[in-house]
Amino acid sequence: MTTQDRTDLLNEIGLNVQNRAAIGRVLGTGTIGQATERADGRMEATIRILPDEIGWDPAILVMPHGGDLELELINDDLNTHCALLPSNGDRKFIWLVNHSRGRATLNLDGPGYYWYSSPTGNDEGRGLTGAIVVMGDVPPEARLDRPDQPRP
Amino acid sequence: MTVEYVDAGEAIDQGTLSSKQGTAPPAVSDVTYERILNARSEPQNWLTYYGAYNGQRYSPLDQINTENVKRIGPAWIFQAGTSGMIAGASTYAFEATPIVVNGVMYVSGWDGWVWALDAATGEEYWRYKHAVPYDVSLCCGNVNRGVAVAKGKVFMVTGNAHVIALDATNGKKVWDKTYGDVRAGESATVAPLIVKNMVIVGSSGGEFGVRGHLDAFDIDTGEHAWRCYTVPKPGEPGSETWPADGEAWARGGANCWLTGTFDAETNLLYVGTGNPAPDFDGGVREGDNLFTDSIIAVDVDAGQIRWHYQCTPHDVWDYDSISECILFESDGRKLLGHFDKNGYFFVVDRTNGELIQITPFVDRIDWGAITRDGKVTPRKYPDKEGDPVHFYPGPAGAKEWTHAAYSPKTQLFYVPVQDVGATATRRRREFKESIPYWGAGVQVDADDMTGSVSAFDANGEEKWRWRNELPMCASVLATGGDLVFAGEPSGEFNALDARTGELLWQFQCGSGHHSSPSTYTVDGRQYVVVPVGWGGWAEGFLPGMLGAGHGSALIAFALPE
Repeated sequence: MTTQDRTDLLNEIGLNVQNRAAIGRVLGTGTIGQATERADGRMEATIRILPDEIGWDPAILVMPHGGDLELELINDDLNTHCALLPSNGDRKFIWLVNHSRGRATLNLDGPGYYWYSSPTGNDEGRGLTGAIVVMGDVPPEARLDRPDQPRP
Repeated sequence: MTVEYVDAGEAIDQGTLSSKQGTAPPAVSDVTYERILNARSEPQNWLTYYGAYNGQRYSPLDQINTENVKRIGPAWIFQAGTSGMIAGASTYAFEATPIVVNGVMYVSGWDGWVWALDAATGEEYWRYKHAVPYDVSLCCGNVNRGVAVAKGKVFMVTGNAHVIALDATNGKKVWDKTYGDVRAGESATVAPLIVKNMVIVGSSGGEFGVRGHLDAFDIDTGEHAWRCYTVPKPGEPGSETWPADGEAWARGGANCWLTGTFDAETNLLYVGTGNPAPDFDGGVREGDNLFTDSIIAVDVDAGQIRWHYQCTPHDVWDYDSISECILFESDGRKLLGHFDKNGYFFVVDRTNGELIQITPFVDRIDWGAITRDGKVTPRKYPDKEGDPVHFYPGPAGAKEWTHAAYSPKTQLFYVPVQDVGATATRRRREFKESIPYWGAGVQVDADDMTGSVSAFDANGEEKWRWRNELPMCASVLATGGDLVFAGEPSGEFNALDARTGELLWQFQCGSGHHSSPSTYTVDGRQYVVVPVGWGGWAEGFLPGMLGAGHGSALIAFALPE
């Protein structure tokens, strides 16, 4: 077994593209992006589906803390997809026909990460399963009354 | 040439793409503390987790009875299914108790779901979905044990340790409070309990080395009323049962992950506490480790422990005492019955915690022995590093979290029994926040197991036993029709004669039972409703059924119209 830089190996083997190593693109091999925080504390970001990639760009979107996220969703692909997104209250759903642009407003508690996907056909298995990571800590009043503990 | 994008619009709630109606009748607008205090005076409803504050899981309804139960069948089925990638995708289970008020049912699922249904038809009124992080720490599965209702609201906890209040007519959030730290390994699964103007919840996370606590919040505003830690800090009462040096207390466990019971006359909340952490390595926490594995009586106004009874001092078998504290009266005394994971049935005076009697309720107990006067002698336990030790009952206990019932009519307790052993091998490890902190490798027996529903009187005398090849892992329900309903891990839902244990009726539900059935009437027709969906910590309580299919059905049974 050889150990190489992750990016080199992803490209060399073809784990991060369609129909090369696997049939689809292996989950967790896509790009990473960060949401922008506005002055009012709300966050915003854009997620795209690029032509023939059947993957989200970014595939991992990072929010600096819990709260409201305004997403722009753009389908640049030549096929129809959709999005099922996590949000408190109910999951948000939107159809994204070829060359379309839509919006979603999500509310997520922090911290942790959440999967979202395109629940049509097997888009989810081919690569259209992404993650939204929420950073930060729980409010001080929710924490345990104990000395700081070691973490991994 | 640039081609304009097609406008896909704004994403919508997924639930609008279903047959749900969107609103429910205002059934709980006038549900008050006083009504819950007298819950059994309105047997058409199942107002609170155990049916009543006493934890008896008994309904006086008798339309369905020993004479006619063989004629009941499914009146409706509600199925939620799963979609997408959810936390604990392989461990989700349907473990709730359905609450019913004036023909409206409120029931939680897994992964942050709550549904309001027409209790006569199963038609969906509304749903709420909390977004639960995929990476939340769950020792035992993506589960939730149910909701509470009062003053027009539905209360539930979420996997990421929030307590939320929803408008009972439409499922919209009214308030939301965080009461646990997911970065510390905390989570929440408990069904809230309404007492006075408070909603009371406990924390989960005992396998991650947290410090257990109960919290109370104002029903109307969500304002925090009190927090009661179940492991004392140095200098507090009980702290002498922890090592004087180090921080074992700070990681001590004792989580209250099941709903308590309440007596308005004593003004005490009776709650069982969970295991100490690390579960199996007692060497890092010498002492009795109060208030782990205990019945605690908490002043509901002050949020302070008034008395305790510890069922397993210095536990090294994972014998949480979280099980229900059933309140009953006998010979003029106010008593409390508790079937513990350690295999013993405890009865104590609930005014002061004085021991009345202790009796084993399962055949195989070899971890140790408890005499009738309460003296505990450990015999087999993981002690030496790397040395496997087999013991009965296993860490899921002779009775898991699922509940016993008590019929004041027959004056018998009915307990689902698991007779399964396990092997634990001590493996000491460092504590790191949010990483499982067991202190052992554990394997539960996948064969040589059995189970039963057993009936005991208050003196601990066994009156009958209905035997099953598999351990019984679901709560039982006792009714005024002299019936005991009990689900099996293999899917059968059974009605037993409460006086003899004879099997009178059975229905195969298609998935194993690990929940708590309830009963109610709508327009004079009695229903028995049971959530069906195998899963949870099956490797802990019944690994022999790890390969069984999950389910997600809520089935209501009734006599033909």
